[in-house]
Amino acid sequence: MWIGLAVPLVLFWLCLAHARAEGLAKVRLMPLWSPQAQFAGYYMAREKGIYARYGLDVDILEGGPGRSPLQSLISGEVDFAVLWLATALQQNDDGLKLVNLAQIIQRSSLMLVAKKASGIAGPADLQGRKVGLWAGELSLPVLAFLERYRLHVQRISQAYTVNLFLRGGIDAASAMWYNEYHTILNAGINPDELQVFSLHEHGISFPEDGLYALEQGYRKDPARARAFAQASLEGWRYAFAHPEETLEVVLRRMREAKVPASRSHQEWMLARMRDLIMPADSSETLGHLQLAGFQAAGTILHKHGAIEDIPDYATFTGDADADH
Amino acid sequence: MDIQIAKEEKAHILTLSGKLDGVTAPAYEQRVMALLEAVPCSLIIDFASLDYISSAGLRALLATAKRIKLKGAQFHCANVTGTVREIFDISGFSSILRMHDSVAGALAAIG
Amino acid sequence: MQTTKSIARTFTLIVSVCTVLIFSVAIGSFYHRSRVALEQEVANNAAHLVLASINRVETTLHAIGKVAEDTSRSLEIAGYHDQSLTTLLKETLRDNRDIHGFGAAFDPNPAFNPPHPVVPYYFRQGERLVFAPEDNFQHLSQDWYQIPKELGQMAWSEPSFDKASGTILMTSCSVPIFSDNGREKQVRGVVVADVSLEWLTELVASIRVLDTGYSFLLSRNGTFLTHPDRDLIMNETIFSLAESRHKPDLREIGRKMVLGESGFVAYTNIHDVSTLMYYAPVPSTGWTLAVVFPEAELYADVRNLTLVVAGIALAGILLLTAAVYWVARRVTAPLGALAEATEAIASGHFDTELPAVKSSDEVGKLTLAFTAMTGALKKYIRNLTETTAAKERIQSELKMATDIQASLLPQLFPAFPDRPEFDIHAAMDPAKEVGGDFYDFFFIDPTNLCFLMADVADKGVPAALYMMVAKILLKTEGQRLGEPEQILSRVNEILAADNDSCMFTTVFCAILNTENGEVRFANAGHNAPVLISGGQAEFLSIRAGFVLGPIAETVYTAERITLEPGDVLFLYTDGITEAKSRSEELYGEERLLQTLQTASRQELAEMIRTVRAEVFRHADGAPQSDDVTMLAIKYRGMAARNP
Repeated sequence: MWIGLAVPLVLFWLCLAHARAEGLAKVRLMPLWSPQAQFAGYYMAREKGIYARYGLDVDILEGGPGRSPLQSLISGEVDFAVLWLATALQQNDDGLKLVNLAQIIQRSSLMLVAKKASGIAGPADLQGRKVGLWAGELSLPVLAFLERYRLHVQRISQAYTVNLFLRGGIDAASAMWYNEYHTILNAGINPDELQVFSLHEHGISFPEDGLYALEQGYRKDPARARAFAQASLEGWRYAFAHPEETLEVVLRRMREAKVPASRSHQEWMLARMRDLIMPADSSETLGHLQLAGFQAAGTILHKHGAIEDIPDYATFTGDADADH
Repeated sequence: MDIQIAKEEKAHILTLSGKLDGVTAPAYEQRVMALLEAVPCSLIIDFASLDYISSAGLRALLATAKRIKLKGAQFHCANVTGTVREIFDISGFSSILRMHDSVAGALAAIG
Repeated sequence: MQTTKSIARTFTLIVSVCTVLIFSVAIGSFYHRSRVALEQEVANNAAHLVLASINRVETTLHAIGKVAEDTSRSLEIAGYHDQSLTTLLKETLRDNRDIHGFGAAFDPNPAFNPPHPVVPYYFRQGERLVFAPEDNFQHLSQDWYQIPKELGQMAWSEPSFDKASGTILMTSCSVPIFSDNGREKQVRGVVVADVSLEWLTELVASIRVLDTGYSFLLSRNGTFLTHPDRDLIMNETIFSLAESRHKPDLREIGRKMVLGESGFVAYTNIHDVSTLMYYAPVPSTGWTLAVVFPEAELYADVRNLTLVVAGIALAGILLLTAAVYWVARRVTAPLGALAEATEAIASGHFDTELPAVKSSDEVGKLTLAFTAMTGALKKYIRNLTETTAAKERIQSELKMATDIQASLLPQLFPAFPDRPEFDIHAAMDPAKEVGGDFYDFFFIDPTNLCFLMADVADKGVPAALYMMVAKILLKTEGQRLGEPEQILSRVNEILAADNDSCMFTTVFCAILNTENGEVRFANAGHNAPVLISGGQAEFLSIRAGFVLGPIAETVYTAERITLEPGDVLFLYTDGITEAKSRSEELYGEERLLQTLQTASRQELAEMIRTVRAEVFRHADGAPQSDDVTMLAIKYRGMAARNP
C-alpha cells in the first residue's frame, strides 16, 4: 500500500527536480582549500537545495595544492571564489577588480604557535627565532604582528603541514585557529605546552574568508551574485544548526577528494567556524563586511606597502551598483 | 549463726554471732569439740554479737565447758549482755560460768 | 524431633557455608594468580613479538637510510655534474629494490649552487626506472626537504598515500647534503629516497595475536599508519581518536608512544573492549608498533578453567552437604529417640525402654549413661520410699511419745474438788516435736501441796526421755523430802551422775501450806513466776539458782512468800514469752503481765484459756516452736474451807 503510493510520489518529485534543474543557472565556486569544514556552509547550501531555491546550480570545485581559486577566477573557470580580504585588496590594487559579495569570517583566526619548552613566553622571545610563514598575502597579518613588536626573525617558508614545527625545525609556526592549531594538539602536544599568539588579540584584525566575484562578472548579473551570497549564508546557518549532518557531508566530500579526514578535527573546525562566522553582537549582520574591519585591514596593508590605495568601500562591496 | 575463731597466746577466742539454738547448737558443739581435740587450750566465748540463746544452746555451752574442764583448761564468757544475759541470769549460768565484761578481762583472768 | 532436625540443619549449614567460603577464596585466589601469571607471560610474549617485528622493520629502514646517507656523502665529496648525478641516482635506485623513488634536490643558494638547480628524480614503474625531474621550487617548502635541511640530519617524513593510486602508503628518507666551505657547514641539498610501505603494512597486519587481537602502527605524530579499522588509517591520530571518544587516558598513552617510550598497559579500546596493549617505538622513524590483546579472549582459558573448577567444587559441596546432612541425621536420630524416652522417664514412667545401644560412640555412651541413671533413680526412689516409711513410723511413734508424755501430767481439773482453800489449773500445748516442758502437783502431806514447772533443755527424744526421768525423780523425791531446796538438790545429784551430754532442766519447785498460804520454793534456773495479788500482776523476785542436771554440787536455797486469800501464782515456761509472731516479734513478759492483769478476776481455767488465746492470737498462725505450758494456783484461804 505504502510502496504503491510512495513510488509514484518519488517519481513525480524526481521529474519536478529535473525540470527545475533545467531552469537553474549553472555557476561554479572554488573554495580556498581542499574540502574541510571551513567550507561547510557552501556544501550544505548545495546539499540541502538552498542554492537551487535561489535558482542556482552551484558546482563546488576542489581547492588545494596547485589549485588557486584566484587563478581560477581570473581564468574564468569559476564564477565565485572564497578569498581572503587581504588577497582581494592586493589584487584590487594590482588592477584586478573584485567584488566582495559576503564577508564570511569577520576577524583574524591566524595565530603564531610556539612550544613553551623552547623558552618562548611573550612576543619579545620570538626575536631572532625561526618562524614559519605561509607564502604570499597569507603571511601579511603575521608580518604586521612582527612589525608591531619590531621583531626580526628568520623567516622559513611554511607549506601545508606543521611537521617542521613538530620536529623542532622552526620555533614558531603559522597556524589557523580552526585548523593547524588543532592538528598540533592532535599530534600529542597539550594546550598548556603551547605559547599561542592569536593575532586578533594583538590588534591585528584581518577579516579572512569572503565570497568574491570578478567585478565584470558581477556586473553582468548582480542579482545572481547576491542570490549566491544569500544562499551561501543560509547554508552556513543550516550547517551550524545541524552540526552532525554537516560533519557527515564534509567527511564524505573529504573522502571523495582523498584527503585525510579526521572526524574530531572537522568537528573542531566547524565549531571554530561558528565562533568566527556568527556575529559576536546582534548589531552586526552575518556575512556583512564591517567597514571598520575593512579599513583596518586596508591600513595595515597600506602601511606594509602591499597596497597603494584602499579601494572605495561601496565599490568594493558592490553596494555602489545596488544603489543604482 | 557464725563462729569466728581467733588464736591468742593463752586461749582461743570464739566470737559467736546470730542465734545459738537447737538448730545451730550442734554445729557449735562439733566445732569446739574438734578444736579441743586438736589443741587442748582455754576458751573464751565472746557473746557480744550473739542475739539469742536457747536452752539447747545453754546445754551446748555447758557440754563444751565441761569438756574443757576435763582437759584442765579454762572456759570464760565475755560480753554477755542483753537478752542473753537475762537468760544466763534466769538459768543460773551467770553464777557457775566465769563471766567477764570484755575479752581482755577474760584473757587477764586466764593469765 | 524438631530439635534433632535443627541440630542436623545447623550443622549442615555451618559445614556448607564454611566449605563454600573456603572454595570461594581458593578459586578466587587461583583465578587471580592465574591471571597475573598469564598477564606476565603475555607481556613477555608481546614484548618479544613487537621487538622482533621492529627489528625486521629496522633492518630494512636502516639499509635504506644507509643508501641515502652514502649517496649524500659521495655527493659531498665529489662534485657531480648533472649527467653523473642522474646516473648515480639511477644506478643506486636500480640496486636497491626496497626504494621506490630516488632523487636529489638543491638549494637555490648562489653561494654553492646555481640559481636554478636541478632536482633529478627516478622512480620505479614495474621494472622500468622513470626519470621525472621537478623544475619549480616547490620542494623548498616540502617536509621531505625542509625537515632534514632545518634539522641538519636524516629525517623520515610523515607517511602519506601515494599520489597515483591513493592507497599505497609512502614515506621518504631524506639526508642533507652538506657544503663545507671551511668556515661553516651548510645544507646544500637533500638526497631523498621514497619508500613504499606496502611491505610494512603487510608485516604489521601479519602480526596476529590470539583470534581477535590485532596490531597497529602509529606515525611520529600519532597518525594511524596501519589498523584493522581502515577508516582510521591516515585519517585519525591516536589523539583525535581520544578526543572524539572522550578517552583522556588514551591521549596519555599516545603521548608516551610519540615520545618513544614502550610499555604494557590495560585500556578500553575504541570498541569499548577491555584490552591489554604492548607498544614499542621504531627507532629510525619514531613510529610506534603496538599489539592489542582483548582481555576476554586472553583470560578465556583461565576463566573456563576456573568455571570448571568452580563447577566441580559446587558439585562437591552439594555432595558434601548431602553427606553431612545424612550423617547428622544418623547421629541425631538416636538422640531424638533417647530424648523421647527420657521425657517419658521424666514424667515418671521409669520402666520406659531406652533405645537399644547399637554403637560405642557418644550417643551409645549417652544411652548407657541414661540407662545407668534410670536404674540409680529407680533405686533411689525405692530407698526414699523406704526411708519415708521409716520416718513416718518414727513420727507416729514420736506422736505417741508426746501423747504419753502429756498423759503423764495431771490433766483432770478440778484436781482437788474437796480442797476449796485453793484452786489449781494447768495446761500444756506441745510443739510439733516432742518437747521437754512439764508441770506437776501433788500433796506431800495433807497440808503441803507441791507444785512445779520445768523445762528440759532442747527438744526431741533425748529431751523427752530426760523429762520422764526428771518428772519421776521430782515426784518421788518430792514426796520423800518435802522441802523444795532439798528436792532440787537431791534430784540434781541423781541427774548429774553420768551426765556427759550436760542435759539439764530448769525447775521451779514450790510447796504451798494450804493452811496459812505460805509458799516455800526453790528455783533451778526457771523463769520467775507471776504473782497476781489485789488485781496487780508482777514477777516474783526470786533467786536464779542453777539449772538441774549438769553440776552435782549445786546448792539451792529455799525462799518463801505468803499468799493472801485470792492471790494467784502463775507459773509458765518460755514457750509463752518467746512465742513468735509472723514478724518474729516475741510475745514477751510485758504482754504476759498485762494479759494476766486483765484476767486477774477470772477463774483459773478461764485465765489459762485467756493467756493461751492471747499467745496464739499473737502468733497469728506462725509455727509454734516450743511447748506452751502454764500452771496457775490460787489460794482462797482456810475461810473458804469453812464457809
